[in-house]
Amino acid sequence: MTPLLATDPAAAFGQFVLIGLVSGLLYALIALGYTMVYGIVELINFAHGDLFMLGCMLCLQVCLAVGALSEADAGTGPAVLAIAIMLLVAPVFCAALNLAVDRAVYKPLRTAPKLAPLVSAIGVSFIFMNIGLFWRGPTDISFPKLLLGETNLIEGSGMGFTTKDLMVVLVTIPTMIGLTLFVRYTSLGKAMRATAQNPTAAQLMGINVDRVIAATFAIGGALAGVASVVYGLYFNSVNYQMGFQNGLYAFTAAVLGGIGNIPGAVLGGVVIGLIKALGGAYIGAEWSEALIFGILIVILLFRPNGLLGARTREKV
Amino acid sequence: MPPLLDVRDLEAGYGPINVLHRLSLSVDPGEIVAMIGANGAGKSTTLMTLSGVVRARAGRIVFDGKDLVADRVPAHMIVRLGLAQSPEGRKIFPRLSVLENLQMGAFTRTDPDGVAKDIEKAFTMFPILRERQHQAGGLLSGGQQQMLAIARALMARPKLLLLDEPSLGLAPQIVVQIFDVIRELNRQGVSILLVEQNARMALKVAHRGYVLETGRITFTDKADVLLHDPRIRAAYLGE
Repeated sequence: MTPLLATDPAAAFGQFVLIGLVSGLLYALIALGYTMVYGIVELINFAHGDLFMLGCMLCLQVCLAVGALSEADAGTGPAVLAIAIMLLVAPVFCAALNLAVDRAVYKPLRTAPKLAPLVSAIGVSFIFMNIGLFWRGPTDISFPKLLLGETNLIEGSGMGFTTKDLMVVLVTIPTMIGLTLFVRYTSLGKAMRATAQNPTAAQLMGINVDRVIAATFAIGGALAGVASVVYGLYFNSVNYQMGFQNGLYAFTAAVLGGIGNIPGAVLGGVVIGLIKALGGAYIGAEWSEALIFGILIVILLFRPNGLLGARTREKV
Repeated sequence: MPPLLDVRDLEAGYGPINVLHRLSLSVDPGEIVAMIGANGAGKSTTLMTLSGVVRARAGRIVFDGKDLVADRVPAHMIVRLGLAQSPEGRKIFPRLSVLENLQMGAFTRTDPDGVAKDIEKAFTMFPILRERQHQAGGLLSGGQQQMLAIARALMARPKLLLLDEPSLGLAPQIVVQIFDVIRELNRQGVSILLVEQNARMALKVAHRGYVLETGRITFTDKADVLLHDPRIRAAYLGE
């Protein structure tokens, strides 16, 4: 976490906003996987957070394999190699796993009542969690600090914004922009939007809906994989239950923004990051969960479709 | 000339229930064929089975010389063969613009110039769509959505156009307009299978007609013969 440098109240407030924004971007990256899958098949994929956790475990494995083990390796060849491999392998691994689960578990239930795949998703979530437990054990595991230093990039402002924070921004924002452009302009992206809005009509247009669904699971999984790399490098601690909590925040972000809505998931993620950071600072960290969900309830009372749910045209 | 569409002993339905029972019909090249019948007779199921959205359980659907049932042609390939549908309830993409809806209708095509030309043609046929081209499809009125649904289906350049209840819920003068378009399309060479509850309008525009009752064809003849048949008049024309 960014070190607190601020002494005057305004700078302190700015500091908490920065912390909130950075963690919010991470929630947003995970939230996109929930929201895209929901937009296409109306399934809350409860296993998505745990998929992200398995991505983190794989990243850890990559560090071990390459020999990038500690802060001492930061900036050296092995660290750079480890990061490069992680960025390549984690998204592919998570995409393939998500795709495989869809094939084996959700696809056979496509025409079943909605509760059936939902309960299956909860089951997959526990299976993933147990795999994580079996793989790396029950305790917190430190994730090597492979990023060079914690240089404060806005020295003199009284706030801290480090190279690590910058890394989160530099990975998440282009990923989200890329996703938005993909959905808007590519043939597959257009097919995804059409399928989200009316799957029957999409079939009548000649769209292969099965392929669109598979692509959605793959893309959602890949985003979770990207998030797992960023998370490991940023927080430097992973455990087998991390998928549950972060998945819950991300899912909440997706609902808050309007489930099925891509910009909504990003907005929801940032809002939750801000509530968590500011609430934790000014009200007390022990209240941050109650605060997040309290605010969620209030927002949903007034906007049941989420912040952007009814207003925007774009679903997927 | 062989029929463009030749359906023999078709069986289809949902879950344990069969909706279509040994249904047979045909459409010749250049024909408008009407299928009339009450609510729930299986008209939409017939069209959805032809488009491959509902799986045929038995029988043959030979379209343009290819057996869609035996060859297990999936829905997304059927459009590519030249069979497009304007579905019941229009099924416009509500959050895509009118223009994007039309482009979606040309999803299978790879000739951008031809697509642009056909969009222009659609706008000429339905000037209101040109005016509203940047509006979301969901914001159009019922009549405008119907026009968009037909125009969108035409974007695939179909040999056979399936039209499901194009008059449903529309004001009488709009219905007249829609049927004028159907005639005009047919004059341009598009064969049409038209499903309608508005039996009078449908039989007036069609060459031949089929009467569907609980999933079975009970009458078939030239459209004007059906139009004057006392049984049809009593059951479907409200006389």
